Amino acid sequence: MNVFTRKIRGFRLLDLVGVSLLVFIILGVYLAKTLAGRERAEIASVERLIKTEKARIRLLQAEVAHLEQPGRIERLSVAYLKMESVPASREATAAQLADLARAGPAPKADAVSAVATMVDGTGAVPGVPPPPPAEARPAQMAEATQ
Amino acid sequence: MSLNQPALGRPGLPRWLIERIWGLEHAFERARASGRVEDDTRLRIFFVLVLFSLFFITLAIGATRAAVFTDAARNIGMVAPVGASRADLVDRNGRMLAANLVHYGLYIDPREIWDQVETRRGLLQLLPDLDPARLERALRGHRRVFVLGALNPGDRNRVHALGLPGVSFEPEQHRVYPLGTTAAHIIGFSDSGGEGLAGAEAAFNEEIRSASVNGGTIPLSIDLRVQGALEDEIYKAVAEFTPRGAVGIVTDVQTGEILGMSSWPVFDPNKPGKSSEYSRTNRAAASVFEMGSTFKGFTVAIGLDSGVAAPDSKFDARFPYKLGYRTIHDYHAARKILSLVEVFQHSSNIGTAKLAESVGPERMSHYFNGLGLTSPAKVELLESARPLTPKVWNDDAVASTSFGHGINVSPLALSRAYGAVLNGGRLIPMTIRKLPEGAKVGGPRVMSEKTSFQMLSIMRANVTGGSGKSANVPGLSVGGKTGTGEKYDPAIRAYSHAKQVSSFAAIFPTTGGIDTKRYFVLVLLDEPHGTAKSAGYATGGWVAAPAAGRIIERIAPFLGVQRRNDQVQAIPVEEPVLADAAEAQ
Repeated sequence: MNVFTRKIRGFRLLDLVGVSLLVFIILGVYLAKTLAGRERAEIASVERLIKTEKARIRLLQAEVAHLEQPGRIERLSVAYLKMESVPASREATAAQLADLARAGPAPKADAVSAVATMVDGTGAVPGVPPPPPAEARPAQMAEATQ
Repeated sequence: MSLNQPALGRPGLPRWLIERIWGLEHAFERARASGRVEDDTRLRIFFVLVLFSLFFITLAIGATRAAVFTDAARNIGMVAPVGASRADLVDRNGRMLAANLVHYGLYIDPREIWDQVETRRGLLQLLPDLDPARLERALRGHRRVFVLGALNPGDRNRVHALGLPGVSFEPEQHRVYPLGTTAAHIIGFSDSGGEGLAGAEAAFNEEIRSASVNGGTIPLSIDLRVQGALEDEIYKAVAEFTPRGAVGIVTDVQTGEILGMSSWPVFDPNKPGKSSEYSRTNRAAASVFEMGSTFKGFTVAIGLDSGVAAPDSKFDARFPYKLGYRTIHDYHAARKILSLVEVFQHSSNIGTAKLAESVGPERMSHYFNGLGLTSPAKVELLESARPLTPKVWNDDAVASTSFGHGINVSPLALSRAYGAVLNGGRLIPMTIRKLPEGAKVGGPRVMSEKTSFQMLSIMRANVTGGSGKSANVPGLSVGGKTGTGEKYDPAIRAYSHAKQVSSFAAIFPTTGGIDTKRYFVLVLLDEPHGTAKSAGYATGGWVAAPAAGRIIERIAPFLGVQRRNDQVQAIPVEEPVLADAAEAQ
């Protein structure tokens, strides 16, 4: 008796296997769709979050770009750190460093740190140059981090 | 077997189904009884079953993949922002210059509003930009209408917090320029519909819109560090000499890339409508000027390249020179016989005019055409202005143009022509797009390499011992030429001694081989005013050259130009010239 003629409770084994397979597959598709639907909702939710975060990151990048404007950085560094362009006479190559060290220490800078200024409570630092003309902060970014 | 049918007593579909299965079984029985081969039939059924199974398995895999792995789930619950999508503009180092950010449009549906008074009061209190008349029309209408756009997330959250029925938001794209006034003229701006109107925004409009689909960026040639230093020094010069306008340009003469471009007065591209057209005008590209003595660089180069003169050729500048109906003077003249290098150093009008006359109108116009001075500067900017050139190239026109009068060109056109003179003789297009590292840009040869080297030496000599001394930076081998062009005043129908265009055209380093990276810097002040510090002078040597020197000193480290012990060029310098007042005419 081969697999094509064997019967179980009057039904051929082959028919039973076929029907079982079909039922299994139909059930499988149903379950896959159901589970996938749930997954899809979760994925959509995560993707929403990602999209929101991306938008937020872009806002923050724009905010960073705004805060790092060359003119603004320059004004702040001059005002609070007393920084300025290094004149040629103060530049040295790596090979010259040893000679410079032997020549003695450089005179101390009298830079005023921002923290010291705040602690002193003096507020404005003397000699702060005025801002460049018509500087304007884009209103659209005022709430960038909210 | 048929007697043992367990389902016969059942009604409906199960009974029908079971009857069909038993009927099939009986068919097999009958087939066996009649001696036919039944296995073939069963095999066929088996294969049909297998095919069905494969079909369902394929469906199952496809359904699972579609549900789990595809983009179908995207945008669910979040509406894609509509409107004008544009890609980011970044500088050559990837720093953001312009970006589209999601903002919100405010909509009002009067049919859903319960309390108009509260709605009106709440919105006007929170949104100062909201037009009361427009709000009133929306409240009295009968359908949902747009009321205000470009609201940031904070504004939206605050309005949401009021809990006003009938007030809703829709996301929209909004172009933001986070750097404000920095590089405003080269970046430009776009309208609310996403169409570029000026600067790079207009020049690359289609490209920017296309790139936004893939989330790409458009890198411009400018270096924000260079731009920052350039603007800072231009603003300082503006504050000191109070001109009507000012221009600063930094270019790479080997590639034509514009590394920095500043035009003053400035405007905020976030609010272009609130600035005057005067402020929005990019003076570097869209304005033309009679440049004055910076043109002598071209005349001397043409004289050398055409073989009419050599660096040691002599020109008698002892007496005013009469040419046609006009007499050409050297103000604060040397009143002596000058070599070509000295003509350049003293900015001698007489010597330059005599040189130009020797070259002749035909060759001068040919060279001017070749240097691109008679056509708009070749650059992507749509603002690139057409020059004003002599209608007829006669002796008088040649004499005038030889020292930068009678021809009006844009600062960008001047920069391009100087680039050709100093890069080995190739006229290359200028660009505001970043080129790949090591890119070789081709262009027609307009001068020989020898002429280019000679001009580098002569310009260097002018800084070490001529009118451009205040632009010198130790170790950077700066070369340059001052320029002071008087402006034509329609009120007096003559050139005004009080209104000048003062400029300085600089190149650094002047040392190195023909392929050495060199950078051109132009500083131009339109109608500057002399100060006590400048001894009342407002000429290029006093107002523009110092600014150019400071710019070069600051940007050299960004451009990778190392300081070296100054190598003064071989061209002899007899005596230093006090100032460039000589060039003012």
